[in-house]
Amino acid sequence: MIIGANIAYAFFSMQHFTRQLELFPDCSVTLVLFNDVKNAVALRKKAMEGSIDGALINPAMIVDPFQILVATNKAVHLHRIGKMKTRTLNAEIIFNLSPNNNISDALKKFGISDNDSAVLIVLIEDKEKTLNLEGIISQVEGQQVSLAELHKITDIAKVKKIYKLTPQEEKIGTLLDGIICRMSTKDIS
Amino acid sequence: MADGGGEAGASAVSPPPLQGLQLVQQGAEARLYRGQFLGRPAVVKLRFPKRYRHPALEERLSRRRTAQEARSLLRCRRAGISAPVVYFVDYVSNCIYLEDIAGSTTVRDYITSVQQSGNDTSNLFLLAEKIGEVLARMHDDDLIHGDLTTSNMLLRPPVEELDLVLIDFGLSFISGLPEDKGVDLYVLEKAFLSTHPNTDTLFEVLLKKYSTTSKKSSPVIKKLDEVRLRGRKRSMVG
Repeated sequence: MIIGANIAYAFFSMQHFTRQLELFPDCSVTLVLFNDVKNAVALRKKAMEGSIDGALINPAMIVDPFQILVATNKAVHLHRIGKMKTRTLNAEIIFNLSPNNNISDALKKFGISDNDSAVLIVLIEDKEKTLNLEGIISQVEGQQVSLAELHKITDIAKVKKIYKLTPQEEKIGTLLDGIICRMSTKDIS
Repeated sequence: MADGGGEAGASAVSPPPLQGLQLVQQGAEARLYRGQFLGRPAVVKLRFPKRYRHPALEERLSRRRTAQEARSLLRCRRAGISAPVVYFVDYVSNCIYLEDIAGSTTVRDYITSVQQSGNDTSNLFLLAEKIGEVLARMHDDDLIHGDLTTSNMLLRPPVEELDLVLIDFGLSFISGLPEDKGVDLYVLEKAFLSTHPNTDTLFEVLLKKYSTTSKKSSPVIKKLDEVRLRGRKRSMVG
């Protein structure tokens, strides 16, 4: 599942991560990770304007690609039944990462900030949208890295603080387990 | 979840739109499927419409039970009780996508196999204590399971470790009342003793551990005694 860097040759082939959503087989999700990003301000603007059609996420808050897949799956589900809480699919993906129902708080904490140096971009491809990966990558002034590097960027302390896992919970499962539970049940708990 | 019994109207319900789904169990309320969800082994619980119910009631009931189950699973985990992780809840078709506890055995099957094998049953006493302890913690968090049976308790492999996982919270609710907790235990007692013959002492061990673990146990046990007296085919005269 996780695609690492190809080290058989003299250059590294920077790998992104793509997965089809089983529940929506026409839909596939691509995750691209960047480090040493210099133009976060411009990227944010482009995302808001729509010239970058992707969700720009703060990778320090992500412990595993599964976290993003779960958020995306829920977003696509709600988008298709017309029941999103936010106005765009990309905003909905970011919102779904949050353990609470405050939209602006979610976008602030899980979206990227002006001085962020790491950015994770989530791109959706379906019947209506095709992927322009090279186009997106060229707009980022930074180094594309493999998703395998994510763990170096994650801020575990901050993640624990935001998701508020209980000490008892940590004994029966992983941090990811607690995160996923909160993401999937926040609308009714 | 009650075992067996198909239903005429239910066969018209299509399984969730996930490929490679295997029907694992057909219950009275829901069907359980096994498959992969975003690369992970998952169990999908689909609550299907019951034709005899009025459609408005049907919609509300199914949705409420689905939501309640999801809510209770999170509450359980927050209290440190092992329960499956909720991956996704589909309120349109009332489907819950849950973590598959791979290779698990139900407590029901475990007790049955230990009894049948005639082997050392001391592990059963440890199991009873484990259950008592877990239920005490659950009730101390004011979570009522609502359908406690040995089929709704799983053991992660290897079974001897007695790593207990509670499942099936569709009938669960929040209550601090000793009456509700007492009834919860009563339901388990009836299910336990009727499913597993000669386990009276085992259940007593369970209750004893419950009493010593829970801070609020004594009014609960008192209520349990009252409920036992109230039960079916019991004369309330005199």
